[in-house]
Amino acid sequence: MADGVRSTRSGPGILLVAVYGLLALAATGRSTLQILEYFSRAPLAYLLSAVAAVIYVVATVALARGDRTSRRVALVAISVELAGVLVVGLASYLAPSAFPDKTVWSHFGSGYGFVPLVLPMLGLAWLRRTARPAAPVAGPG
Amino acid sequence: MLYALTVVVFVASVCLMGLSGWYAVRSRLVDDRLLLVAALLELGLLVQLVVCLAHLGRVPGGPGERATFAAYAVTLPFVPPAAAFLALKEKTRWSMGVVAVGAFAAGVMTARLQQIWNLRG
Repeated sequence: MADGVRSTRSGPGILLVAVYGLLALAATGRSTLQILEYFSRAPLAYLLSAVAAVIYVVATVALARGDRTSRRVALVAISVELAGVLVVGLASYLAPSAFPDKTVWSHFGSGYGFVPLVLPMLGLAWLRRTARPAAPVAGPG
Repeated sequence: MLYALTVVVFVASVCLMGLSGWYAVRSRLVDDRLLLVAALLELGLLVQLVVCLAHLGRVPGGPGERATFAAYAVTLPFVPPAAAFLALKEKTRWSMGVVAVGAFAAGVMTARLQQIWNLRG
């Protein structure tokens, strides 16, 4: 795999890729429907839904590929994701009128069991840990 | 829709989730038993897809609900094969977690299908 660093998709990484994939699917489906069916109801929220969907798809692919470029792409995508869920989460509490309908990130992802809030933190931690060659903390398997 | 079918599919996904979760804890890898349960779930999801598409015209609510209903029904049968593929490819306990997550998602989506169907007055 990639030059002396651990692959981002093996071990715990495979679980991360799977959960990212699932969220990518959910966010893409939801935002497609929102934009096609009820765009005028809440344009801002629905555009953010679409942005979230794109970011999840990019992060899934980047983590699954796991070479050096993908790692950088994943770092950017997951950082944007973390910023997004924090900003949108906060904004949905402070300015609820701007978010009449739920998005993946509103209320810090409470509609998805707060997975959207926890996932980027796990993702960044995983990227950090796999960046070090042959991390001694890794258990068997 | 067939309530009994939803129950069967839901029970199958809970079984798969429990089994794969247990395998993950015990550090066991994918075996015939796990694949058999996944195949049973897959069979149920395929039957569910046919039933859902046959009843699509009677889905309550607007086109949005109908689209959601169809999207869930069509997406569901892809979940167990994808999870099984990853489990066969990645031979660590973590891929059992992938199967558990997939089974959980299948259960949730099946419940959502029934929920949308129940909206009809």
